[in-house]
Amino acid sequence: MSMPHMTPAELRQHATFTALMWAFSYPGRPQRLPAAGLAAFVAIGETLLDLETGFFTPYDDLVPALAATGGRPLPPIHAPYQFYPQLTLAELDLLVTAPLGTYAEPDRGATLVLGCGFAHGTPLHLSGPGLAQPLTITVARLPDALWRARATVAVYPLGWDLYLVDGDQVIGLPRTTRVEVG
Amino acid sequence: MSLASLAHPRQDFSYGFLDAFAKRELRRRMLKAIAIPGFQVPYASRELPIARGWGTGGLQVTLSIVSPVDTLKVIDQGADDSVNAANLRRFIARMTGVATTTDTLAATVIQSRHRVPEERLREGQVLVLQVPDPEPLRQVQPDSSRAREMHADADYAQMWLTLYEQLVRFGRFMQGASYPVLVHGRYLMSPSPIPRWDTPALHQAAHLTLLSAGREKRLYAVPPYTDVRPIEFEDVFFQVENMAGRICMLTGARNKFMDELPVAEGGSQFRLSDTGYAAKLLRRARGDAATLGATYFDDEGHFYQPGVIRHLPNRNGLPEINPV
Repeated sequence: MSMPHMTPAELRQHATFTALMWAFSYPGRPQRLPAAGLAAFVAIGETLLDLETGFFTPYDDLVPALAATGGRPLPPIHAPYQFYPQLTLAELDLLVTAPLGTYAEPDRGATLVLGCGFAHGTPLHLSGPGLAQPLTITVARLPDALWRARATVAVYPLGWDLYLVDGDQVIGLPRTTRVEVG
Repeated sequence: MSLASLAHPRQDFSYGFLDAFAKRELRRRMLKAIAIPGFQVPYASRELPIARGWGTGGLQVTLSIVSPVDTLKVIDQGADDSVNAANLRRFIARMTGVATTTDTLAATVIQSRHRVPEERLREGQVLVLQVPDPEPLRQVQPDSSRAREMHADADYAQMWLTLYEQLVRFGRFMQGASYPVLVHGRYLMSPSPIPRWDTPALHQAAHLTLLSAGREKRLYAVPPYTDVRPIEFEDVFFQVENMAGRICMLTGARNKFMDELPVAEGGSQFRLSDTGYAAKLLRRARGDAATLGATYFDDEGHFYQPGVIRHLPNRNGLPEINPV
């Protein structure tokens, strides 16, 4: 019996999952994905999506690649995984309808993958599990209304789990992370 | 384009034994578990070539997270060389090509049944705990659907009542291993049957802990730097097992978790439960190179984070340890 080897797809998905796992474990710390730009969204999609789940994205160019995983395209009110390479105010109206989970099943709260920039932008002060000390990051290209919606609509243990993607970097903000803007 | 260029070479098994769908589902569940500390996430526990109840939950998690660049340590009740640990380690290594070790400091992934290593885990390490029964409310609510509602309502009154009844009837908390903890101030969690000695090691830990019950098909997690508080009263505190006065017969170590070995003449001898740590102590005693990490409890029995294990002050205003 020979030892099995990782296929290129498995290698890519393992690297992506590892980045996502540590991104949630240590919120605010950038992790490296095996792909950059729109390909990073595809890599996250192929790591998380298959026949058992569904997705939403308003970005038409992303739909074929995500649908190729077997995941079903769903409206934002039902989709457990949602991809917004550029989140505009109009798309924010869709995003705020994303599932929050229920008290019996908080794990049904949506995972949101959002494109943004880390080099400069709005300071976000983070605290909560995964952070030994409060941490400040800067995030550009995301409307401030997102953070207001996250704070008011989503009350722990309900909520959204966020991945922020810039190039090949991903930052995780699970629902436990307290975010203060400014 | 040929078919051969599209297909990868034939293999007897998938990498990590589990197929791609199984790993993807496990990974989705693990991410949710990390996002909701202490919440039991259901998953479709797959069949494995070992029986349920022998670590299949931990094994599935480990197979989903390791890669050839990882270093794996597997322990069973602290021992690297027990039959269960040896078989799991061999299986994982065969299916993933992962390097193995008995050194806690060298490992990136540690799968364990019923112990946390004595040496402190660091950032970037993953502790995978095998869980026989993930439901901390089982003793007060055998109906799992009702227990799920209680978790949804954060209704843990019956657990407090059970603790109170134990104090009234026996004068102390009777729960040994699997002492229930409150995670991030919200979910009551069974830390798996680790002794009370190990429970404080999960509080504000630098490492990630993943717990998985294969038979019960649920997994949950404690992210790094998360509050994990054993339930206790304001005036009667959670206590770890009393290891004072126990000296390891092999290494001379003190104030670490010991296995008790009855001797023919009566009485007991003690031996470090953590065999990897004991081996390093023995190597150092022989004059060989061995790097020892900082331990959760020092040689005087003090936990490394002050205030986590509380003691009532005695009449002199000094902390008093209640031997349990």
